[in-house]
Amino acid sequence: ASVHESLYFNPMMTNGVVHANIFGIKDWVTPYKIAVLYLLYEMSTTKPMALLDRRRLNKLILPLQQGPDLPLEQFLKIVEECCARMANVVKLRLFLIADGELQDMEHFFTILPNAFTDSEAFKTSVVGLFMRQMLLAYNKLSFSQVYKLYKSLQQYCHRSRQPELSAPPGEDMELTSNEDPSADHIDKVELDKVTPHHSELWSDETQGPLSQKQAEYFLARQAYLLKNDENKAMSPAKLQDELNNILKFNPDFAEAHYLSYLNSMRVQDIYISTHSLLHYFDRLILSGGEGKSNGDEGYGRSLRYAVLNLATLHCRFGHYQQADLALQEAIRIAQEANDHVCLQHCLSWLYTLEQMKGSDSVVLTEDSVKIAAHFCLPYLASLGIQSLVQQGAKQGMLANRLLDGLRGTDIMHWKQSLSELVEISLAQTTSIWRMYGKSTMALQQAQLLLNMNSLEPVNFSVQQNNTEAFAVALCHLAELHAEQGLYAVVSDIMRHLKQQFPPHTQHAKLWMLCDLKIQFEKAMNDGKYHMAEPLVTAISALNSTEGLYRKAQLMKALNQTSEASKILQHLQQRCEKSKNIEMTIRVMLASAELHWDSSGFATALPLLLQALALSRQHNLQNLASETVLHLAFTQLMLGIPEQALVLVQDVLESVLAHGALIDKGRALLLAARCQMALAGTTTEENRLSAMELAVHTLDEAAVYFSRLDCKERMRDVYYLQARLLHTLGNFSQRNKCAMLFRLLDQELPLSGMTVVNRL
Amino acid sequence: MAATRSSEIGDLVQIKKQLISIIAQCKERGLVHSVKWASELAFSLAPLPLNEIAPQPELTEEDAQDLDALCLAKSYFDLKEYDRAAYFLRGCRSQKAYFLYMYSRYLSGEKKKDDETVDSLGPLEKGQVRNEALRELRVELSKKHSAGELDGFALYLYGVVLRKLDLLKEAVEIFVAATHALPLHWGSWLELCNLITNIEMLKSLSLPDCWVRDFFMAHMYTELQMIKEALQKYQSLMEAGFAKSTYIISQIAVAYHNIRDIDQALYLFNELREQDPFRIENMDTFSNLLYVRSMKPELSYLAHNLVEIDKYRVETCCVIGNYYSLRSQHEKAALYFQRALKLNPRCLGAWTLMGHEYMEMKNTSAAIQAYRHAIEVNKRDYRAWYGLGQTYEILKMPFYSLYYYRKAHQLRPNDSRMLVALGECYEKLSQQVEAKKCYWRAYSVGDVERMALLKLAKLHEQLNESDDAAQCYIIYIQDIFSCGEQLVHAEVSTALRYLGQYYFKNKLYDEASLCAQRCCDYNDAREEGKALLRQISAVREQGEPSTDLTLPCVFNPLSNNTTPVRRVSPLDLSSVTP
Repeated sequence: ASVHESLYFNPMMTNGVVHANIFGIKDWVTPYKIAVLYLLYEMSTTKPMALLDRRRLNKLILPLQQGPDLPLEQFLKIVEECCARMANVVKLRLFLIADGELQDMEHFFTILPNAFTDSEAFKTSVVGLFMRQMLLAYNKLSFSQVYKLYKSLQQYCHRSRQPELSAPPGEDMELTSNEDPSADHIDKVELDKVTPHHSELWSDETQGPLSQKQAEYFLARQAYLLKNDENKAMSPAKLQDELNNILKFNPDFAEAHYLSYLNSMRVQDIYISTHSLLHYFDRLILSGGEGKSNGDEGYGRSLRYAVLNLATLHCRFGHYQQADLALQEAIRIAQEANDHVCLQHCLSWLYTLEQMKGSDSVVLTEDSVKIAAHFCLPYLASLGIQSLVQQGAKQGMLANRLLDGLRGTDIMHWKQSLSELVEISLAQTTSIWRMYGKSTMALQQAQLLLNMNSLEPVNFSVQQNNTEAFAVALCHLAELHAEQGLYAVVSDIMRHLKQQFPPHTQHAKLWMLCDLKIQFEKAMNDGKYHMAEPLVTAISALNSTEGLYRKAQLMKALNQTSEASKILQHLQQRCEKSKNIEMTIRVMLASAELHWDSSGFATALPLLLQALALSRQHNLQNLASETVLHLAFTQLMLGIPEQALVLVQDVLESVLAHGALIDKGRALLLAARCQMALAGTTTEENRLSAMELAVHTLDEAAVYFSRLDCKERMRDVYYLQARLLHTLGNFSQRNKCAMLFRLLDQELPLSGMTVVNRL
Repeated sequence: MAATRSSEIGDLVQIKKQLISIIAQCKERGLVHSVKWASELAFSLAPLPLNEIAPQPELTEEDAQDLDALCLAKSYFDLKEYDRAAYFLRGCRSQKAYFLYMYSRYLSGEKKKDDETVDSLGPLEKGQVRNEALRELRVELSKKHSAGELDGFALYLYGVVLRKLDLLKEAVEIFVAATHALPLHWGSWLELCNLITNIEMLKSLSLPDCWVRDFFMAHMYTELQMIKEALQKYQSLMEAGFAKSTYIISQIAVAYHNIRDIDQALYLFNELREQDPFRIENMDTFSNLLYVRSMKPELSYLAHNLVEIDKYRVETCCVIGNYYSLRSQHEKAALYFQRALKLNPRCLGAWTLMGHEYMEMKNTSAAIQAYRHAIEVNKRDYRAWYGLGQTYEILKMPFYSLYYYRKAHQLRPNDSRMLVALGECYEKLSQQVEAKKCYWRAYSVGDVERMALLKLAKLHEQLNESDDAAQCYIIYIQDIFSCGEQLVHAEVSTALRYLGQYYFKNKLYDEASLCAQRCCDYNDAREEGKALLRQISAVREQGEPSTDLTLPCVFNPLSNNTTPVRRVSPLDLSSVTP
């Protein structure tokens, strides 16, 4: 009395190893297949047929052949869409058989080969092969099997004819009907769905076994979707159900285990994913186990890749030590077997692991690229180059060398149609340009990626691949638009991101962080610090370094200087350890600002100079101009406005070209203040014109600030303008500015920050 | 079914009466296994005097009407013509006939299912072949059930139908109801046993208060690996008067086998064979024990004996497989395990044993396959997980095998073999800290192979933690000598050698010379022992002359507290389970 009745004994087992397809037959005759055969037979024998009908039917053949078994009603409906007459004929014929005798079915199979003579259905065509395969399978059936097939065909037809009768209402419905209770349910649900290629069609099809081919097709399709467009794939729970179903009917179907591994990776379930992965390889080892024991092919090879996959699994879950151990093991056995390709894969994972751990892996990566090129593994080689470029960019390598490297690999990608790598490369270029502070270039690259047509040969109606590259590009796009104050566009992009990468998917964190950052910046600009506070917590959850930085900023804005400085110091240490240059510079700038608050302008100088040197060294133009502005402000405060103005004018061009709206406004405001300060020192006759110039500059700054709706800064601008106009004697204008100032001042809460010590 | 509820175990006569009545009832309904169980039990009790034997229960009007149909149907039923039996019973009214009617329909469905499996349409349909009668049966039975018309036997059948339809929760309820209605029917208890997965579930059920319940609990404890409780239960049952029952003896023997008390188990099995020489059940377990003890002649005798009784039984095939395996004829052994699997593909032990054979034949891929099958049949089979781990370890993939060993360890947390295997893997991966934890834990849970301490000591030795190493060696030596029996370890000499050197370095010359002297008892360490003795005497002549070289008691100084060995460190590890 064992519970495990479902496990049947496999008679095809020899020597303990199951050869699932000992006869090479992958498909078996089912009632649905007979219906398809009828359709094909009718199509090939009916000579005169409208061209349009024929084309539509032809387009239908492949999906019908590859898809799962459909209920007759649905099948007929699909055919009817293409050619009503054909559907009728098929229906009639089928019912004729069902109502007749077994002999009728046998007759059909005897006349089926007639379709090959004088028609388009060649014996070697897809259709011909399918028909012959079915014939072969039919001829192999034993007496009782044929009878069973006929019985099930009768049932199949009968069920579709009376869908309502077999489902009486009430609680006993499920009990009284002999069929699967869900079968009728499927009928009803799927009546309105027409094309068999929709993924939804699979989703309700939880009952009934798939044939080997159908299962393979199903797995391939789901795996493809998981990789490229997770949203279109089944939901994790449903997919798991489906996989369990497949495995129940065919426990030797190893690929299903692998898909189950991928599926559980989606939901970050380490137990099931480890289990499925190991199970898959246990099964795989068997199938490849014939003959060659440890050679390049088969058994030994799958062992190596099994360990390697285990390593990647641990990598993905962030178990670096485990991953390291597994990787070492993979390397060891690959070395023993002299498998260079596997070693190469190991090496590329090794440097990835090192990178994830935060240590320097340039040397390893370089080695990997060289060897990969030597063994003609373009994919690994360019992955290595891309990784090198990323590291190089972080370490301040020359920009032209980086971009040259990327372009070199790009040519190869296009040649070999490695669309995935093309996408990564474009996303990477976007990021690099963004890092360098060239927003226009970044924008262009992002658009290039988003407008690119996918190169994938088989494209299951996927318009745009949902890979990480796309998420990155879209995030950059959102941030770039936010910088320009186009918040409506930003929210559109965010909506799209949310739709494409729902929160449970693996790349969702990217847009979450990006969204939070944008919201934080906006709240800070608007002076709504209470709103910024929860955002800081949320950011910290996604990225602790970023969270700390934002927290320091918030503290600074709230005048909690000592806390802010403590956090900044801590952050500085952390960044230096992790060699995060961008953040280091930002932290330096923030610390300098803190120094200003305590009027330590002179003490801020060395920090700023250091920041400037760093940002120049790493080609971070955006940060460099920011630093220069900070320097200029410090000089202004130290009483050397001439120098300050020179500095501002130096960077003004690049800020106006690439900077964010707020930066543009701030730069102009600073310039105006320098001009004001200078006007005070010049002679009488120049003073007026200098002041007018300052007013004009302020006007420009006001344009940027008003676009951002940054009221605090507007207030400052109006204040300065009013003062200037007063001196100029332009009273009507002055009164207007003063009034505007007054309005804003009333509206805004009192802030401790005065116009004096703020950039 | 009256008068069963209040009866005590003490009243053997009453029990015997009940057994006789249930045997008759089950027999009429074709429930052969329950008949067998009850008969075995009844046989073990003293025979009743003539006046105590209960008269035949009186027939009701309905029974009388159905009598002929029932007779006819029963004869068809016995000849396995189930459909025919059901046909003639369709109009009957009595409970007995109704049960037989439903039961034949059920069995007819099962039989057809088995036949279908052979010629189904394609491999994918195979998993889908099912008993078509189940749904109808369920509908009819549920209607009767809600009307309260089902007796104990019908409830049992209803439960079986539910279980086959994978409606496990409902099935448990029905089986509990069945045991209440008819506590003496062992079949319901057995089905219930298969559905209970853990002790909490067992405790949550309200079971009838009857002497059968004790048998059930004992069986359940064995299934849940709570061997101690099971043994207690069986002991009390034996004391209550079932001492002669072969069923209980075999169950106790299996329980001893599970906790690896080989001597006890062997003794009981031998006794069992004396009482019931043609018994085939549980003989595969017996052969496992003989195999572990390498008792070739006994195993061979058992195998030949069983072949004479019935060679087409799973147990026989397993015994023969074990026999060939012990004789290192692994191909033949694998062949017989395969035959066992052909006879019953759900035979868990055979899959695992076949895996072991393939391992011996160095056919790792086939071994993995076999183990995987075993796991598929029963996920909780720790031997298969352990075997998989071993296979990968042989393939030099220690990290990979960690997962499997961990699984095995999870299932048997207190089995030192898994812990030692885990420790070895960690050692190979140079994860000494984890390895130390594993070895120490293995020692703490009671090391069967007595290797853990030695390995731990060697690990400490490698890491230059000489104090800890010495400590481990001391415990190891004490352990080896205290257990009395001579194990085939040559490793005592290693321990002594190390200890000698260790004491010598720490200038404890008395202890050192003692160890060196003991070293001389072992061939492989004799030279070193002598060398050490010479060194000691040389040092003594140079330095302070030591007074006594004659220590009366051999190992007293070692366990003496005056030795400067730190005694804490290994214990620290015990709190952390790997």
